[in-house]
Amino acid sequence: MSDTFSFLLMAWLDPGLLSLTALGVLAGIYIGAIPGLSVTMAVSILISFTFSWDINNALALMVGIYVGGVYGGSRTAILLNIPGAPSAVVTAFDGYPLAQRGEAGRAIGLSTVMSVIGGFIGVAVLAGTAPYLSDLALQFAPRDYFLIAIMGLLLVSTLSGKSLARGIFSVALGSTIGLVGMDMVTAQPRLTMGSMELLGGIHYVVVMIGLFGVAEAFYQLHNMAKVPVKQNVDKIIPPLNMVLKFLPLSIRTSIIGVVVGALPGTGGDIASLFAYDHAKRTVKNPSSPFGEGAYEGLVAPETANNAAVGGAYVPMLTLGMPGDAVTAVIIGALVIHGLNPGPMLMIETPHIFWFTVGNLALANIFLLIFGMTGIKVFSKVVEIPKAILIPLILVLCVVGTYSINSNMMEVYWMLGFGILGYWLKVYGFQMGPIILGVILGPLLDETYRQAMSSVGDSSSDFLLALVANPLSLALTTVITLVLLGNTPLKGWIMARFARN
Amino acid sequence: MSKQFERVQAGEKAFDWLLLLFSIGVLIEAFRIDGEIRLNSAGSFPVGLALVMLASSVAILFSHRRKRRDPRIRSARHEAEVFLHEHFQPHIVIFSVVAVLYLAAIVWASFYVSTFVFLAALFIYFRQGKFISSLIITSAAIAVIYGLFTMVFRVYLP
Amino acid sequence: MFKPLLTSLAVAVGSLAVAGSALADYPERNIQGTIQWGAGGATDNVARSLTPHVEEILDTTIVLTNRPGGTGVIGMNHVMRQRADGYNLLYGAENPQLYPLMGLADFTYDDMHAVNIIGQGLVVIAAHPNSPFDTFAELMEYARENPGELRMGGTGAGGLPSTVHAMINAVDELDVRDVTFGGDGPGVTALLGEHIDFMPLSLSAVAEQIRGGRLKGLAVLTSEELESLPGVPPITQALPDIEAFLPWGPFWGVFVHQDTPDDIKSTLEDAYEQAVAGDEFQEFLTNFGGATLNLSGDEAQAYLDNWQSVTAWSMHEAEAETVKVSPEELGIPRP
Repeated sequence: MSDTFSFLLMAWLDPGLLSLTALGVLAGIYIGAIPGLSVTMAVSILISFTFSWDINNALALMVGIYVGGVYGGSRTAILLNIPGAPSAVVTAFDGYPLAQRGEAGRAIGLSTVMSVIGGFIGVAVLAGTAPYLSDLALQFAPRDYFLIAIMGLLLVSTLSGKSLARGIFSVALGSTIGLVGMDMVTAQPRLTMGSMELLGGIHYVVVMIGLFGVAEAFYQLHNMAKVPVKQNVDKIIPPLNMVLKFLPLSIRTSIIGVVVGALPGTGGDIASLFAYDHAKRTVKNPSSPFGEGAYEGLVAPETANNAAVGGAYVPMLTLGMPGDAVTAVIIGALVIHGLNPGPMLMIETPHIFWFTVGNLALANIFLLIFGMTGIKVFSKVVEIPKAILIPLILVLCVVGTYSINSNMMEVYWMLGFGILGYWLKVYGFQMGPIILGVILGPLLDETYRQAMSSVGDSSSDFLLALVANPLSLALTTVITLVLLGNTPLKGWIMARFARN
Repeated sequence: MSKQFERVQAGEKAFDWLLLLFSIGVLIEAFRIDGEIRLNSAGSFPVGLALVMLASSVAILFSHRRKRRDPRIRSARHEAEVFLHEHFQPHIVIFSVVAVLYLAAIVWASFYVSTFVFLAALFIYFRQGKFISSLIITSAAIAVIYGLFTMVFRVYLP
Repeated sequence: MFKPLLTSLAVAVGSLAVAGSALADYPERNIQGTIQWGAGGATDNVARSLTPHVEEILDTTIVLTNRPGGTGVIGMNHVMRQRADGYNLLYGAENPQLYPLMGLADFTYDDMHAVNIIGQGLVVIAAHPNSPFDTFAELMEYARENPGELRMGGTGAGGLPSTVHAMINAVDELDVRDVTFGGDGPGVTALLGEHIDFMPLSLSAVAEQIRGGRLKGLAVLTSEELESLPGVPPITQALPDIEAFLPWGPFWGVFVHQDTPDDIKSTLEDAYEQAVAGDEFQEFLTNFGGATLNLSGDEAQAYLDNWQSVTAWSMHEAEAETVKVSPEELGIPRP
């Protein structure tokens, strides 16, 4: 027991580890804030860099970057409507309108506090239930992931604004974009129109940067003359009663985040979508309507994506299986440092588990400190005249896109998506459902075909499997209820009952 | 829902027709993956998605029946004029053209040189002169990008 | 402020152009290393643990980038289209040797120069501990009586499981449901949750799971039992004829553009040979479940040719669905 405590507090008491964690969080915030620079990329560069270090030092730096990076994505989402990372897409829905209202400082402050709350709940769940949660996660068969993806698709009604038909079109369009490239099963090219460059598919960050960043830049060209909103930077730290008011919501969305994060097939991006949907369904009187600057719309995704960090560590530390792309790279780092990530990791080297738990908690403390710094300066970004801001946004989008794969072709596509996004925006289409499709499309395709192959390509066995297993049945029931409650079907059923 | 008719924007109908055509194109491409309809193969999802796109774009076109043209737009010709006036203002066109030139220039003129020219040119144009301050802002921006991407994150730029 | 910057840029651009001809002090700038597979995978792990040693020997920085996608076609295509000046390296796995066969691309490693074939991985056929089968022979027997019922995990056409499956089919018949995953990781996860019945995997991906009792090995793809996996029978016990294809395994290598000047090639070859032979990397590779090859020059070429011919013909004989062209048409000799 005392051993556990000493490992838990190791990062807190060792000045070297303490400063590496701090450095990691600080660097992570800025890496995360820049679209195209991802935590995955930063952590994998660190592997070569920290190769000769002590493993604890390397892990401390990586944990810091991970925690800081997941949070950092919200900065540019709020300030410029360019999510720094896919998990911050949802943050832009309400964060950007808040900044346009002059509340960028408040929005960043609130998202910092909420990220830290989410982060701590994630760590607590990791520390308390890791072995059970990972066993639960293993129960998810391909068909269950398929059902989760379907549940994700139902969010379209939440995200599509006024016209559902346009929302559905956007989701299908996004999914189609997500499917471009070589088929995973048969290696056939799909929708590539003979292009070699398209064989590898279109990276979803490329789509994201184009649709959000460039499209927004073009859109803003219409009101060049408009004087930017003066930012109110006096009230950055959210008052305690505000935090308390959102506490029940943040706990619920954190739980969503940690569970979705713990599933090896899904991560923070999907977690934040679910959390937003949950908030929209359960909060009856948001501070403003959702999509127009509701604080609740900021609280939900920010708690969920940081809670997902703790979740992603669950399968990694208990089974040696990655919970997301970042933990996959961290597993590689452990291997290179001569450790054996696998089910024996917790038994043979329990200190890695407790060290990580303690370190994650520490990183969240630093997140609270560093997240609150620089807000005043950052908020001023919104006040930069459009004449300067718009060209800079385009350059940032180019650099960001190029950094993903060092591929100029992807920069051209990014511009193409920007132009497409502009026209879609003009004619009342929302960007959210397109990104939803890009993220969920490949998951749907992959898991559907896995589930079908598992039952020998028999449609009836496939449908039977969806209700024959308790977990699948639960998911199917939830989907059915949401569908009934959300569509005209509800009115139809109600009417029938009334007539009877 | 309110009884008021939503207004159709200039060019909206044409755009929605384009989406319909696009959906048909995707459907043809998707069908060619397998060459037939199958329940579990590389082509099943793309075909399904194309059908959804097709159906929803038809639904969007149908929704136009419940909308009215903006009363300020008098004829098709006038609509085209409004469309051009709204989306092809000189500064938007110039921005788009310069952006495309910039992307083309990166490959042969290197990233930093073309970015410098791009930013300086647009700043000077958008801010109507102000050469010195535009050049200073450009240099500062380039310095920040260089420091951040090339020095700190060691991202390889063309 | 910007004038000196421009000048230095001009100098930098100029020196880039000269670099091709001035070979004397290679390497004089950072080298770009492209990894053909995603972060966290086997190729990525091997590349990232070897590279720091090479950096030390060459006294330069090798900037590693993952360019996954299209069974590695994307990354390889990228490196082949760069200047042949030795500043672009490819870290790749075995897959390109099968590209023409599967109609993925018209190039193979023959179109590049092998700097070093680093090592070879071992293959194990794994199942969940609750599985009723203890050896691969039992599984084969069940599959013969119940064709198309067992679920085998795969990683798609051209992936390791599909190649192993083809080899088995070349000497016997194994009719199973093929469930495809995005890589070893998701496959192992599904195996842990008993959503599939078995999966051929590289040892590095499952060694720890087997050691921890979360999975069990049904067979190793060798002709003798492995010291590191006691109790797991060699596959030849179930399928004696498969011996003709052995030893077989996935491999990892480093490649440069074919037209790279000879002295740069030899500088790289020396550096990599030294790095791979180093104690630290050797320890990593053993721990990782791989066997060292450390081949360069003619030896490397011979290894690549042999690997290609064995694999291509076994897939051809098994009439694997993914084989688009016969190896004969491609001029691949029979093993």
